[in-house]
Amino acid sequence: MITFSNVSLIYPNAERTIVENVSFTVNEGELLLLIGHTGAGKSSLLKLINGLIPHHTGGILTGEINVAGRSTRAIKPGELADIVGIVGQNPINGFVSDIVEDEIAFSLESLGVAPEIMRKRVEEVLDLLALAPLRRRNISELSGGEQQRVAIAAALVTNPKVLLLDEPTSALDPSAAEEVLSILHRLVHDLGLTVILAEHRLERVIGFVDRIILIHGDGTVDLGPARQILSKSPIAPPLVELAKKFELGQIPLSIREFRKFAPEISETMVQAAGKNLGDTILAINSVSASYDQDLRSKALSDVSIKVSGGEIVALMGRNGAGKTTLLKCAVGQAPLTKGEVRVKARDPKSFTDKELIRFVGYIPQDAGDLLYGQSIKQECDLADLDNGVESGRTLAIYSDLMKIPSLNSHPRDISEGQRLGLALSIILSAQPALVILDEPTRGLDYEAKKVLITNLKQITSESNRAVLISTHDVELVAEVADRVIFLADGEVIADGGSREVLKASPAFAPQVSKALPNNSWISLSDVERYLSEKN
Amino acid sequence: MRTSRRARKENFHPLFFWLWAITLLVILLVSNSALVSLSISAGAIALVLMKPSNTYWYQSFRWSIRLAALAFTLRMAFGVIIGVPMPGRVLFTIPGITLPDLFVGIRLGGDVTSQRLISAFHEASLLVALILIFAAASALSNPHEFLRVLPRKYYGIGLATVIASSVAPQSARSIQRVRAARRLRGENSTGIASYRKVGIPVLEESLERSIDLAASLESRGYGYFPNPSRYRPHIWRLRETLALAGPIYALIFLLLLPAVSGVLLAGLLLFAVITPGLIS
Repeated sequence: MITFSNVSLIYPNAERTIVENVSFTVNEGELLLLIGHTGAGKSSLLKLINGLIPHHTGGILTGEINVAGRSTRAIKPGELADIVGIVGQNPINGFVSDIVEDEIAFSLESLGVAPEIMRKRVEEVLDLLALAPLRRRNISELSGGEQQRVAIAAALVTNPKVLLLDEPTSALDPSAAEEVLSILHRLVHDLGLTVILAEHRLERVIGFVDRIILIHGDGTVDLGPARQILSKSPIAPPLVELAKKFELGQIPLSIREFRKFAPEISETMVQAAGKNLGDTILAINSVSASYDQDLRSKALSDVSIKVSGGEIVALMGRNGAGKTTLLKCAVGQAPLTKGEVRVKARDPKSFTDKELIRFVGYIPQDAGDLLYGQSIKQECDLADLDNGVESGRTLAIYSDLMKIPSLNSHPRDISEGQRLGLALSIILSAQPALVILDEPTRGLDYEAKKVLITNLKQITSESNRAVLISTHDVELVAEVADRVIFLADGEVIADGGSREVLKASPAFAPQVSKALPNNSWISLSDVERYLSEKN
Repeated sequence: MRTSRRARKENFHPLFFWLWAITLLVILLVSNSALVSLSISAGAIALVLMKPSNTYWYQSFRWSIRLAALAFTLRMAFGVIIGVPMPGRVLFTIPGITLPDLFVGIRLGGDVTSQRLISAFHEASLLVALILIFAAASALSNPHEFLRVLPRKYYGIGLATVIASSVAPQSARSIQRVRAARRLRGENSTGIASYRKVGIPVLEESLERSIDLAASLESRGYGYFPNPSRYRPHIWRLRETLALAGPIYALIFLLLLPAVSGVLLAGLLLFAVITPGLIS
C-alpha cells in the first residue's frame, strides 16, 4: 500500500537529517504504530506519506514514496485526498467548518462527489463514529474526544485506503482514548483500512497494533513486529518495562499476555512511610463556578478540596469535567458563584500581581503561553526581573531540572519537555508555595516524563510546598501522586490515596496494577523498590 | 438541536456582509464626507449590536472598536501636529519647530486653526468608518462558511482571505488566554509595554494555526478538483437582495441628488446600513 524506497529528508538549514536512505513497505490493512522521541520526526514521516512534505511544508526529499500506486513526488497532497486521510495533532486548528455535519462533508465537496452519494457517505460515517446525535452541533462546543472523532470522520468520509493520525489520544481521557482506539481497530478489521498512528502513550495503543516503526532520530528507522521492536527499543510502555524487570524473557503486548507469562507474584509490599504533611496550603470550600451568564450550566458545583504542604495531588476526570476551572480557582481566575478559596489563608483574588507568584505558580495547558522571550537566555533574565530574584537564578534552576538546550534557541523551537522545564523553572524561581500544572504530559515522551516526575518529587520534598496536577495520564499519577481527586460533571466523586482510588476503577487503573492485581503496586517504582528490597 | 437549525436558517448568505461592506465602502469613498462616515460608523456599530452571538468572530468586534479608537486618536494627533499651514481662526498654539527650507510648506506644531481641526476630524472619521465597516462584516459573517462558498478556482485568494478573516477573530480569543497567563507571571497586563508581551505569543499562535488550516485544506483536496459539489448549499434569497438593496438605493440617491440635505442623507444612510438587522 505504501512503499518508501531510499527516502531521505532534510530541512533546509537543519543540522541533521530526519530520515536517511529509508526503505520499507506497509501492507494493506495494517495498523502501524509510529514511535520515537519528541522531535525525532514522527509528524514529518506522516506528512511525507500524504505529500504535505515537501509540497506544503518544504524540505528536501530524495528517493521515492509510493502510495497506492501514486508517487507523492509527482502529485500534490490534494490529489491524494481520495486515498489518504490525515488527522493532525491539533484537529481543532484544521477544522474548516463550525458544524459537525458540514465539516465531515467538506472533503466530499472538494472532490465534487454528487450530492446524493455525499449524503449517504456522510450518514455512514456519522454512524460509524457514533456522531449522529451531534450532527448539528457546533464543533467548538464539543469535548476533546468528540472533536477527535469528528476529525477522524472527516478524514474517513472519502473512503480513503490509508488513514494517518498524529497523537490521536494525547488530549483525551482514558475512556475517550479507548473509544477512539477501538473504533480504529474496528475500521482496520472491518474495512481493511491501513492505519498509521504516531503516539507517545504506548500503554494505550500497544494492544491494538500489528507492527511498529521506530524512528531513532539519527536518520535511521526500524520497522518490525511489535514484540521485536519493543524488545530493544528505548521507548517502551510500563508493561514491557515490568516484564524486563522480572526478567520474563518475553515481551507482553497485553495484560492478558503478561499474566500468562508471569510467575505468580503475590507479595505484600512494605508500605512506604507516610509523608510528613505540612500546613494546609490550598483550601477550597464548597465552591461553585459557572461560565454561563444565566448560570444554567455549572462548571463546578459545591466542590471542597484541601491540599497540604508536601503533597502531590492529581486531579482526574473526563474532558470537560471542570478540572481546569478548579485549578483556576487557586489563582483567582475562575468565575465563582459561591464558596471561598484560600491559599495559605488568603483569598487569591486579594493578591497583587507580584504577590500571586510567591503563593501560586501556575503552568497553563500550553506552557508556551507563559513565554514571550526571544531566546532561553532572555526568557530566564526576564523571569529573574519579574520574580525579583538575583539574576541568573532562573537559569540555575533550569539547569538543575534538566540538560538545557542552547541558550540562544527560541522557546518555540525547543522540545515539548524542554519548554515545560523552562516554564517550571520560571515559576519555581519565585518560590511559590503551591505549584499547579494543567495537563503537563501532553506531547511528552517517556524520557521527558521521567524528568518531570523526578522534579515534582523534588519540589515536594520539603513540607512547605505542594503540587496540584490535572492530568489524563494514569501512569504519571501512579508514579507521583499521593492523592487523587476525581471530578465528574463539576463534582468531586472520589478523593483518596492514589493507590486506593486508581485500583478501584478499571478504566483508570495503571498497567502495573492491572498486570499484578494481587499486589498493592501501582507503579514501576513500587516494583523497583520491591525488587531492590528482595535482593 | 432545533435551535441550531433555526439559527442557521436565520443566517444571511456567507457572502452577504462582505458585499454589504463593499457597497458601503463605495458610498464612503464617493461621498468623502464626515457626516456620511459618522452615520456609516454609527450604523455599523448598531447593526453588530442588533445581532449578538457568542461566536469568536462576533466577540472580536470589541477589539476592532479599540482599533478604530486608536486610529482616530492617532490621526487626530498627527493632523494637529504635522501638516501644511491652514487658514482659519487660531484656536490655540502649540510649541513648533521651524523646519529647514527643504521642507517648505510643512510645519511641526505651531498654530492650530479651526480649519485644521475640521480637516483632521474629516480624515480620521473616514478611517474609523473604513475600519468599522470591515470589522462589522467580519463580526457578522462566519469565516468558515465564507470559505465554503468561495469559487475554488481562486484557491490562493480563498485561502488567504479565510486565514485573514479567521485569524484575527481567533486571536482575540488567544489574547484573553495569554493575558491571563501574563498575570500568572506576576505582571499586570495593562499598559503599552504589555502589548508586546501579549502580542508575540498570540501572533506566533495565529501563524501556527494558519499553517495547520492551510495544511488541512490542502490534504482534503480543497481547490484541486474542477467541479466541487455542495452538501447543503447556501441560497441567496429575496431577503438578502432586499437587505442589500438598502445601501444600494442610498448610493444611487446620493449620486443623483448631490444637493440633498445633509441630515436627511445621514438619516437615510443610517437606516440603510442597519437594514439587515431589521429584516432578520
